[in-house]
Amino acid sequence: MLSTIQPPRYLSRFPLRGRTKSRSFHILSSAQPVTKTCFAADQSQILSIRDSLLNRHLSAVELTHSYLDRLKQTEPHINCFLHVSDPDKVLKQAQDIDDKIKRNEEVGPLAGVLVAIKDNICTADMPSTGGSYILEGYRPPFDATAVKRLKDLGAIVVGKTNLDEFGMGSTTEASAFKVTANPWDLSRVPGGSSGGSAASVSARQCVVSLGSDTGGSVRQPASFCGVVGLKPTYGRVSRFGLMAYASSLDVIGCFGSSVADTGILLHAISGHDSLDATSSKREVPDFTSQFTYASSLKSRPLEGLRVGLIRETVDAGVDSGVKSAIEGAAAHLEQLGCVLKEVSLLSFSLGLPAYYILASSESSSNLSRYDGVRYGNQASSDELNALYEESRAKGFGSEVKMRILMGTYALSAGYYDAYYKRAQQVRTIIRKSFKAALDENDILISPAAPSAAYKIGEKKNDPLAMYAGDIMTVNVNLAGLPALVLPCGFVEGGAVGLPVGLQIIGAAFDEFAKHKCLLNGFFERNL
Amino acid sequence: MGSRALLMLTNFNFKATVSSFGSASNPFFLIKNNLRIRNFSTKTRSSLQPPDLPGLAETARISLAPNEVEEFAPKIGQVIDWFGQLQAVDLDNVEPAIRADTEGDNLREDVPQTFENKEALIASVPSYEEPYIKVPKVLNKE
Repeated sequence: MLSTIQPPRYLSRFPLRGRTKSRSFHILSSAQPVTKTCFAADQSQILSIRDSLLNRHLSAVELTHSYLDRLKQTEPHINCFLHVSDPDKVLKQAQDIDDKIKRNEEVGPLAGVLVAIKDNICTADMPSTGGSYILEGYRPPFDATAVKRLKDLGAIVVGKTNLDEFGMGSTTEASAFKVTANPWDLSRVPGGSSGGSAASVSARQCVVSLGSDTGGSVRQPASFCGVVGLKPTYGRVSRFGLMAYASSLDVIGCFGSSVADTGILLHAISGHDSLDATSSKREVPDFTSQFTYASSLKSRPLEGLRVGLIRETVDAGVDSGVKSAIEGAAAHLEQLGCVLKEVSLLSFSLGLPAYYILASSESSSNLSRYDGVRYGNQASSDELNALYEESRAKGFGSEVKMRILMGTYALSAGYYDAYYKRAQQVRTIIRKSFKAALDENDILISPAAPSAAYKIGEKKNDPLAMYAGDIMTVNVNLAGLPALVLPCGFVEGGAVGLPVGLQIIGAAFDEFAKHKCLLNGFFERNL
Repeated sequence: MGSRALLMLTNFNFKATVSSFGSASNPFFLIKNNLRIRNFSTKTRSSLQPPDLPGLAETARISLAPNEVEEFAPKIGQVIDWFGQLQAVDLDNVEPAIRADTEGDNLREDVPQTFENKEALIASVPSYEEPYIKVPKVLNKE
């Protein structure tokens, strides 16, 4: 009932050919049998790693070796990384953790956890290109705040992942350097723009990863790659060090193989930062304390939780396979005690053009800093304007150029009122309609995308067709709300089926509402 | 698949328009009635001047090759026409929202702070001649 195909459970952990070799990675889930997918608090990879390290069942070096081996094995097929850290450096960090543990010293809560970082998030000791030629080889002079916080807690950065250039795209095909493949079917896209981050967690090349979400760039790849993706509330996580695409919409988001892992990761990076004037001063609740263990829950643990299924997202234009997966998930929620009803958000479809106006306009302004003068690739020229024009022409890809031109148009004198201002007004309407819906319901649900992963090259030449795929996700960015995507079923396609994700939208700053934790912990375990 | 997704984009249910103009059962219809959207399709014509690509490229300081102008113009035109649907929406008395959450004053003290890693900053500059960042001359346009 949940899906048209139910692949054998074990396959969902090892989607590639050559699976049998990776059986050696049992070591990672030493606490659990491989048949259980890693969800719920008692199945968090991060917690089980911490447990294994502190109890000396496993050393950080062994753990790191197994992930690095897996990375080496899978990377030629999926191409997630633009830059992989020097293995010796990574192993040295792991060794340091082991030494500290031997000496009974404190290690951070993320000690030994391998993290991949999307390449539009600055890392001082590694190139950060934003997926663009214009920043090829660029080494930022600072770490992004989110990266700094992860490192302070003991995480090991394993590399920088591929993305659509500057976050503009939904497939990772707009990267200047390579196209990432979906681990579930190598001929299909992993989604975008955080395709590399999603795929690397999906292929278990790392434990968790960071991405960015401006219009769905964490949630849609999470759905396509069958992993958990979390978009926090705008302002929950500092944007300092995230290369700006659309400043009023960008957030840094988390990928993990379980909701618990994304929660732990989110907790690590959240909080006010004086370097980001849009970061919230609100208290960051300890999300992890809100997770419960499935064994302690009763049979209808979500009793009374009010769930609103957004009517407009299961209408015409959505794949029937996706629809049935979502409807199956909704029925399952009812079995767990939820009160399910359909909610109509009247202005829903206006969000897409409003989003693209706002995003193109803001990006045309934000990307004006890439002029080849202070950093990045510089074209040779004997005149300043020509220098700008040539450096940018050579450095930017087509999608970026088009969006800059569209944004320039929308912001031009005489057109600002017609486009940008109206889009901002639509944003107000959408914010209000979501708030009203979330007053009546605890959470809202919808698919994360109208289809499962499509073939590489399928949408390249038709911008509107590609933009259309963002319909489920952009409104959440306009409203600044948090949303979680978790795998809820499969549709036909590929060797064993293609994953479909359920999007769960909450009220502002309520990323892991008490009910939602129960929902996530228990719900996934029963899928 | 692309065309089905486009259906969502246009918010245009073919069945509803043909048969039930008076029926309010279709939620898209509620949108039409409440927000007075008249012309709703991907072929909405923007009532403003179409984009002048070479002019925009100059403003954005990106030089476009002739084949790029040819390639981009229809795509950009199509997207801008699609943007035009917002012009038909009744937005009187709606405040524009700069961003989602307006949490008020989030300013820090107006005190300069030193950035320590100056060497890395300078190392990134393509043409540096201490202490200047070197650029070519500026030509005055006639």
